[in-house]
Amino acid sequence: MTSTTTRTTRGRVAIAVLLIVAVVSVFVVRLVDIQVVQAEGLNAASLASRSDSTVTLGTRGDIVDANGVVLATSILRYAIEADPSAVDEFERPAADGSGEVTITADQAIAELATAMGLDPAAITAILTADPSSRYALISKSVDVATYNAIRALDIPWLYYKADQSRSYPDGSVAGNLVGFVGEDGTALAGTELTQDTCLAGSDGSEITETGEDGVAIPGSTVTVTDAVDGGDVQLTINSDLQYFAQEALAQRVTEVGAESGTVVVTEAKTGKILTAAEYPTVDPNNIDATDPAYRGAKVFSDPFEPGSTFKSITAASLIDAGAATPDSQVLAPYEYTSGDAVIHDSFYHAPMRWTLTGVIEQSSNTGISMLSNNMSVDQRWDYMNRFHLGQKTEVGFVGEDSGDILPGDVSGPTQLDDQTIYNTTFGQGLTVTAVQMASAYQAIANNGVRMPVQLFEGCRHADGTVTDAPAASTGEQVISPQAAQDTVHMMESVATTGYAADAIKIPGYRVSAKTGTAEMSDGSGAYGGAYLTSMAGMAPSDDPQYVVSVTIRKPVTITSGLAAAPVFQKVLSQVLKTYRVQPSTVPAPELPTTY
Amino acid sequence: MTNLATVPIERLGAPAPAGEPRRRWLSPAPDRVARPRQRPRIVYAAVAIGGIAVIALAQLLLSIGLSDGAYQISSLQSQQKDLARTNQALTEQLTAFSSPQNLVQNAQALGMVSNGNTVYLRLSDGAVLGSPTPASAANAPIAANQALVPNSLLQPEQVVAAPVPDASSAPQAAAPDPTVPWQGALPSPQTH
Repeated sequence: MTSTTTRTTRGRVAIAVLLIVAVVSVFVVRLVDIQVVQAEGLNAASLASRSDSTVTLGTRGDIVDANGVVLATSILRYAIEADPSAVDEFERPAADGSGEVTITADQAIAELATAMGLDPAAITAILTADPSSRYALISKSVDVATYNAIRALDIPWLYYKADQSRSYPDGSVAGNLVGFVGEDGTALAGTELTQDTCLAGSDGSEITETGEDGVAIPGSTVTVTDAVDGGDVQLTINSDLQYFAQEALAQRVTEVGAESGTVVVTEAKTGKILTAAEYPTVDPNNIDATDPAYRGAKVFSDPFEPGSTFKSITAASLIDAGAATPDSQVLAPYEYTSGDAVIHDSFYHAPMRWTLTGVIEQSSNTGISMLSNNMSVDQRWDYMNRFHLGQKTEVGFVGEDSGDILPGDVSGPTQLDDQTIYNTTFGQGLTVTAVQMASAYQAIANNGVRMPVQLFEGCRHADGTVTDAPAASTGEQVISPQAAQDTVHMMESVATTGYAADAIKIPGYRVSAKTGTAEMSDGSGAYGGAYLTSMAGMAPSDDPQYVVSVTIRKPVTITSGLAAAPVFQKVLSQVLKTYRVQPSTVPAPELPTTY
Repeated sequence: MTNLATVPIERLGAPAPAGEPRRRWLSPAPDRVARPRQRPRIVYAAVAIGGIAVIALAQLLLSIGLSDGAYQISSLQSQQKDLARTNQALTEQLTAFSSPQNLVQNAQALGMVSNGNTVYLRLSDGAVLGSPTPASAANAPIAANQALVPNSLLQPEQVVAAPVPDASSAPQAAAPDPTVPWQGALPSPQTH
């Protein structure tokens, strides 16, 4: 009896102990499983359920002009989204604070339509397209005022998403240079694209743990990646001057029935582009309004045959090489034949006893062709290269063209036909861009020293450091100071006694200029009877400070340099006024034009 | 027993009446030890419990303060966002207003013309360079034309209305009263 009882008790105790051990080990296994094996996944899941991940926007940088005037900036726009499945009536506190009023779905839609300036039917159509859907886009981008008005409606089935957008406060002023971005924010043209690496910011992200009501739990914010703001790009452009040039050019282009035109203003001593206007110019706020052909910067991308404005470069080369002086004499006929080449002047005249100055003043094709015989084609080709013609400028603008001078390599130009040899002395048979032409004139204006063309001052980062600023340069001596000054003085005769003299006179200042009327190629190698009229020059002639170059394409009512002359005169006057240039004090030297 | 009674009383302690010597020998020792032991126990307990209570209270107040601060931060942040939005909207408006197109248009609407005929005064010899002529709309170098240099941010209604000259007030403005009204006491001769 006693021994049986003892055994039974022992058995019970053993079973109980075993059971306890079994249960405890189940818990231990489960504990280890949760705390160790699955720990990572469970932690992540729990964090995800109570945390909120937000994207912090990295702002794209501004584009500003030389004086800091904002030409492009980033702004926030709001996408208005709806949950069509939740569209129903809702309660809203009454305006007078007495309880709540019920707003029906139709009422809400009507209010929304008023706030957005849309037709209620259009919004209803969006919401009823798929009533079971949880997402419908009402508007991709509304401005702050509209957004605030919509938010004030307190409609529970609306959602908002902030997004970056670009705004161009000055519209089409420098629109060609500033460029634009696409709807998704990718840079598409102009400085926006050329300087994209500087301008672009990068978005960051943050994780915050929030309570049930969406309020962040203090100290729980974890920054996963920092948002980085883009840098600001400063241009050398003066936006007021650019506006003036665009307006003056546009008026003249429409007045003479032309197709398009350009104005480039550079600072003679530094090579900085102060204005690069063109008409038509894109308004980056409204790209669709502009013909796709005119959405870029033609001053950089569209080479043309310059015509007679090129004679100054040929004359400068001749003088520098010692092949001519301003007094070199030539008996210029109306028609000059050499080999297979036949050269005509633009107007009929008996053989004239002109000096090189006279040839420039009268813009004689035969005269400059005959004087160019004193210089080899190789030498002329060499000078074109020294003026950086046929090469892209230092700006590196997107879509920039190099222009096309005589084909050749380091050893010299390839063999050319006689006609082209002579045509290239007066700017036909080769192409340059508007900026290249202004740059060549800058070298002549700056005592023969060509400064690198500059459009960008650099990239200013958020911390104030400036990078990508062009290296300081002392320039390149392209021609001798004497040759440059002689050329400037010869061109002065165009402004004092040439056919366009009255149109480009600026009281108090000595002006040097050269007219041009180039025949335009019809695209198939022949000249098509259309003209590109131009005017390029500098002032004041005693110490040139600014270079202005104007081209007007395919004018109808006036087809000589007179089409471009008023624009040249207005822009140059404005430049001299803007930069407070002292009037000339030394009278112009009177170089003989005939002998 | 007698032997024991003969033990001189001086060897056992101070001379005292019978029965008393035993108490005097024993009682002082427990008195000295028991007092210090009992008192610290209560103080320690009180300090410990009080400390825990203070910590718990501080913790509670701190977390109330923190969560209250969180709501304040949240509300200030949303206020900051609203203000940033307002700032942006106003900046947008301001930059559009200061665009050259808007300025030129408004200046013209107010009847201002830019003088295309630039004239200079040379300070060295007082020479006037150029022929001064009054500005007129006809010879203005440029006339604002929104169509030529467009800015789609500008609304047509942003152009101010040209002021209408008021015929009745114009003559008054042209001939202001040349006399200056006297202010203060009338001067009187100091004669005696």
